[in-house]
Amino acid sequence: MIPDYIEKLVRILEREDVEWEIYWEGGRVGSFGIERETLEKAQRKFFSGIGLRIGLKGKMGFSYVSGLSHTGDTLEDLVKRAIKLAEVGNVPFSGFPSPGKVKKVSDIYDPEIEEIPFEEAYELAGHFSSIMAEKKAELGGSYTLSGSLSMGFVHYGVLNSNGVELMGKSTGFSLSSYVVKKGLKSGSGYYGQSYRSLKGWEERYSVLEKALSLAEDNYNAEPGKPYEGEVFLEPGAFLSVLSIFLENLRGDNVYNGRSRFSRPGEEVASDILSISDDPTVPGGVGSYSFDGEGSPGQRTPLVEKGILRGFVLDHTFASLMGYSSTGNAVRDFRTVPQIGFSNVVVEPGDYSEEEFEGVIISRVFGEHTANPVSGDFALTVELGYLVEGEEKIPIKGNMFVGNVFEILKKAEAAGKNGERIGPAYVPGLVTHGKVV
Amino acid sequence: MEERLLRIAERLAERYRVEYFDIRISRAGLTSISLQNDRLEELSSNVEMGIGVRAFKSSWGFSSANDLSRAEEVIKIAIKIASLSSGSSRIYLGDPVRDDVEILGRKKVSEVDLEDKLSLVRGAGSSLEGDSIKNRSVHYDDSVNEQVFINSLGSEIRTVVSRVRLSISATAHSAGEMQQYWKVFGGVGGFEMVEEVDLSHWGPFVAGKAMELLKAASPPSGEFKVLMDPELTGVFIHEALGHAVEADSVKNGESILAGKLGEKIAVDGLTVVDDPTLPGKFGSYPYDDEGVKAKRVEIIKDGVLREYLTDRETSAVLGLEPNGHGRAQSYAHQPLVRMSNTYVEPGDWSFDEMVEELRNGLYMIGDKGGEVDIASGTFTFGAKEGYLVENGRITKHLRDVSLSGGILDVLRNVMAVGRDVRVEFPGYCGKGQWVPVDDGGPHLLTKATVGGLK
Repeated sequence: MIPDYIEKLVRILEREDVEWEIYWEGGRVGSFGIERETLEKAQRKFFSGIGLRIGLKGKMGFSYVSGLSHTGDTLEDLVKRAIKLAEVGNVPFSGFPSPGKVKKVSDIYDPEIEEIPFEEAYELAGHFSSIMAEKKAELGGSYTLSGSLSMGFVHYGVLNSNGVELMGKSTGFSLSSYVVKKGLKSGSGYYGQSYRSLKGWEERYSVLEKALSLAEDNYNAEPGKPYEGEVFLEPGAFLSVLSIFLENLRGDNVYNGRSRFSRPGEEVASDILSISDDPTVPGGVGSYSFDGEGSPGQRTPLVEKGILRGFVLDHTFASLMGYSSTGNAVRDFRTVPQIGFSNVVVEPGDYSEEEFEGVIISRVFGEHTANPVSGDFALTVELGYLVEGEEKIPIKGNMFVGNVFEILKKAEAAGKNGERIGPAYVPGLVTHGKVV
Repeated sequence: MEERLLRIAERLAERYRVEYFDIRISRAGLTSISLQNDRLEELSSNVEMGIGVRAFKSSWGFSSANDLSRAEEVIKIAIKIASLSSGSSRIYLGDPVRDDVEILGRKKVSEVDLEDKLSLVRGAGSSLEGDSIKNRSVHYDDSVNEQVFINSLGSEIRTVVSRVRLSISATAHSAGEMQQYWKVFGGVGGFEMVEEVDLSHWGPFVAGKAMELLKAASPPSGEFKVLMDPELTGVFIHEALGHAVEADSVKNGESILAGKLGEKIAVDGLTVVDDPTLPGKFGSYPYDDEGVKAKRVEIIKDGVLREYLTDRETSAVLGLEPNGHGRAQSYAHQPLVRMSNTYVEPGDWSFDEMVEELRNGLYMIGDKGGEVDIASGTFTFGAKEGYLVENGRITKHLRDVSLSGGILDVLRNVMAVGRDVRVEFPGYCGKGQWVPVDDGGPHLLTKATVGGLK
């Protein structure tokens, strides 16, 4: 049922000779910070607001108001402000979506998260910190363990003058752990994971163990020798490199001449690679039934067997480019819709990592210093391994350098075990690379 | 309203026996304009209000809302959360502060018509012309944040701070190659911060650089002597030193510089400062978000680590003076220890002397951002462009350069510090929250690993 305050806003808008779109949301986030195995920070935040887009004589105006309980005057002002911005701003208006067939995506809302009393959430965080304290007691003083736990829910809706009338709700839960080991040298490991339900809590021990294992390897790692040849990118490192490539598949970048690509059909990667964007994955942390302007969520093939198949689009850029929206408008009430990815899915292959000899790149950082249009990157190796026969020597501090377009074209095999990293489903990748 | 909320908070604080609380009530006016090629993509002008309440009883409780009708509720929640605490931390309390500061610049952004802001953006867009320029982007943002800070010590501080930022960017295409270049202007002040930018110089400069980079070569790879320009020196010192001296990472035992106060960690002659009191810089502020007066901090003096950046909690736990570096992205965020304007003080080398000293290596220019692992001390940062230096002469133009190094190694490898300090590179620093910062310094000669494709 449409909330009263939105109905009140609609009545005001219907008096004006304009096209309109209302996006509203309200929710709560609780989060907890653990420092040195102790729960040091706890917070509960409330957020809500209404974003209004107006289409008037081919121009668009946008304004928002925070909070949901407003007087008629405040809502009148919101409408006037958005209309004025349409009149003075000259932002081109490409229309709003018409109603589409929206299928409900399952398992993206867990009522337990919305209903959990703060004290119980606090107890969970306290328990997570006590697991860390026990681990520290077992491992000794050279380790420092910290982490976070957070959960939240949001209710949201989109309504427009074309008849779109959609409402949804979703929840999120996340756990992270950061371990530092100090002795004669130092090393660290971070691991975090996000979920849609409180079931994620069951993974608390493995989240900590993964961070510990990464810290242990990082502690033991030393800079490796320069290397050029076959490399195995573990899913985390592959996703870092892939993120540079994905910038080129955003419709706004394509339209505005900031992408390497201009139209589908081009061979952009090795034929072992197939990549899609899919907000319909049940329980996916990037999943949704409809996007920020009410277009249905749908699976969008981006690369199939190395061939570019499409771009991620919202309604505006789809209209400008002569395509249909792929349902990738991402927003909150403060922003107009922007193009974003939902769940990025890379098809796994049949390669078994155990067969690999050469350099494994496990974790890298510095992706934002890469040039997405030229594709050149130089990333710091946070953790990698040199594998020679039975020996697996951890390395760090080197730079993994290359060109993302070449790395993807030279890909020889995708790992058979995909890993979920937040909203991405990624296998490992065997390719040719250089470490300096 | 503040008086009433304070009374409510005091009553609850007494009931739940919390040691300290503070309340931030913020009202921010925000304007944002984006232009891509000649198409206006975004124009928004909004006002946002909110309240954030923090309470301390050996650990922190925090609550916030952007709906002021929840003000009483968030006070109650923050104080109740703190009362659940089982932590063992401490905070600096100190004397109450009462002040009212407005920094709005000469030409208040609230008094500049939207049409004038649009006209500046369109002018900036058209200044980015060039034969092979396929994308011209301009982003303009201004914000005026009025914040009332009250706390249980009796502080009552009203600050009104205006920030303005303009970025211009060009993407060039030719024969399958693509390159981007950009430049950012702005600071704390009024519309004059960007109105006085000479776009007839900077527009063609940025477009020209994007086109020149199409012909530039990939850099070599390996360890090199690297001469950094003032902009790159800024990101280098921010990443290589700044994050590791934020005292929360020291307190938590994570930083590689924990326990090293008073130790010589860099070469003689290297002095590094973080100064939020510099007039007009993007990272400047009069009081931090814990109501502590902003203070200039000499992090390194002549190679010796002198001070960490601190907030109320880390200063108490580590037994140091608080120096006003507790900053929050907004009322909806808890303050964290953050940098402000971080820079290297001048040395006595001229640019020509430094190129001669470098002899063979790389001259790297401009900031593409960086990242650091403060525990292992490895950091990475990107330069917008560079040049090869051969036999003391600047030669081949280079593109897409990223560098990395170890914090302690590179600080000890500084070979020369220039005379020509510039701190005029406004940006944002992310640490779970985004805050405006500036950084810079003079030209600086050191060693780093260069990740080139050759």
